[in-house]
Amino acid sequence: MADEARKKEIYEKLRNGVIQYDEDACREGAQEAVDAGLDANEAIFDGLVSGMEEVGRLFEAQEYFVPEILMCADALYAGLEILKPHCKQMDLGVKGSVVIGTVEGDVHDIGKNLVKMMFDVAGFTVYDLGRDVPLDKFVEEQLKTDSELVCLSAMMTTSMVGMPKVIEKIKEKNPNCMIMIGGAPTSKELADKWGADGYAEDASNALKEAIKMVAFLKKLRDEKLKK
Amino acid sequence: MNPRERVLKLFRKEPIDRVPCFSGMGNITETGINKLGYRFAGIHLDAKQMADTAATTYKLFGYECGVVPVDLCVEAEAMGCVINVYPQAEGILYPTIKEKLVHNEDEMNISLPPDIASRGRVPLLREAIRLLKADIGNDVAVGSYVLGPFTLAGQIMELNDLLKLSFKKADKVAKLLDVMADAIIIVAKEYEKAGVDYITVREMGATSDVLSPRVFKSLIMPPLQKVLKGISTYSVLHICGKTNDIVTFMMEAGPTAISVEQKNDVAESRKKLGADALIFGNFDPYNVLVSGSEELVRSSMRKCIDDGVSAVWPGCDIWPTVPPQNMFAMMDEIKNYGGKK
Repeated sequence: MADEARKKEIYEKLRNGVIQYDEDACREGAQEAVDAGLDANEAIFDGLVSGMEEVGRLFEAQEYFVPEILMCADALYAGLEILKPHCKQMDLGVKGSVVIGTVEGDVHDIGKNLVKMMFDVAGFTVYDLGRDVPLDKFVEEQLKTDSELVCLSAMMTTSMVGMPKVIEKIKEKNPNCMIMIGGAPTSKELADKWGADGYAEDASNALKEAIKMVAFLKKLRDEKLKK
Repeated sequence: MNPRERVLKLFRKEPIDRVPCFSGMGNITETGINKLGYRFAGIHLDAKQMADTAATTYKLFGYECGVVPVDLCVEAEAMGCVINVYPQAEGILYPTIKEKLVHNEDEMNISLPPDIASRGRVPLLREAIRLLKADIGNDVAVGSYVLGPFTLAGQIMELNDLLKLSFKKADKVAKLLDVMADAIIIVAKEYEKAGVDYITVREMGATSDVLSPRVFKSLIMPPLQKVLKGISTYSVLHICGKTNDIVTFMMEAGPTAISVEQKNDVAESRKKLGADALIFGNFDPYNVLVSGSEELVRSSMRKCIDDGVSAVWPGCDIWPTVPPQNMFAMMDEIKNYGGKK
């Protein structure tokens, strides 16, 4: 087992690799974590996710913009790919699966992919339907997989209006399923009006919301470890 | 002063009786489509249906313009992308790009197709503009729109890749954007030949929510300037999102007017750009015009005018399911409140 200093060094490498969108550093760091026998879940949260939290902050501060976030996400995935097979099944009490996609008539999927990334990190089973997804497909996939969460994304006003139909159909068949909507034209008012449980208006917000969720998972895990 | 004179005088910065209420983006309504007995999916592929539908927003509600096309895929299709018009869709689905032209970084080095003016639906648009002019061209200004170079590039290749490459390989992206600019100018020239009075350049993908003002200046501006220079008629530059940080650049790009959406603080932009600048905007076309109450429509119109817009104009396409009473309320408020200003 590696000592604390070595562990810290590796997590720092992962964290900085994400922040500096350095895929190679993330890959190396992840491999070092595996070789040193570190806990893969911990390396993901204290290394990769911690880096992504900082990226979210830099985005807020308008130091980073969408291109940088996309590159940071690539770096995160480069590390995640190596660490994931070594993850123990996490028992966080929030394990679950999610159906995610961009609604029919919309081919924009950047926001959707960022949210998906955070679900991947959190160990969710993600059913990614992609983009330009026919509305009924969301309903079918939810029923088929019995997912407790469905995320609908749209970047154009012209495609957003399909959302209430999906929400209504899913809630009708499965009232307990949580539904998140996201994308530039969405709003809290629309989410409320359409009966959605949450919303994120843009990629930055989606990232923030997803980070919040993952940070919450991390807190749960820390509390569990303390016990 | 009829709507046409009002809008054209506005572009010439001559005195007018009140702020005009018009748009350079899509503004057809379901009410109009239904009245004609057409289907939404059909109007993109038929010049007469397109022109007839575009004319109804003026004919039914007194909206002060006529604009074609309805979708955003004309240029990408002419460049060689395959589009999907969702022919079977029951409701309203706007066409999207089904097949990209550039699939990876190595394919970015494309050149302009030689006969772009006769490819895809460019000839159909020419015809639609002619028909629209013949129908309502004496009463209202007839407009059309093209995409900005960056937005068009985001259609012909993965936006995800384009954004990353804007950072990693700015030179390659700049070269591609220059080709996009040339294509856009050719299309715009065809629209001019057909008789449009103004052209809106929609550089929606280059908003400051997505790209830094620095990248906007170094990468987006040069091809945008080229396009605006290439347009001889009146031009309007539209960018979505929080544009307050880039309104000065937008003006410097050289359009006759700029168009901003509801996330822009127009009073602030007005201060920055001065009394003389033409700023069009900026009500929320969905949350106000479609799902808002008549009172919200009226108060939003007054806010636009009080903030200092040169023309009341939506932040994006008007969504077709707009309730007729909201269209009437919009026009009524602008005639009354706008007339007193």
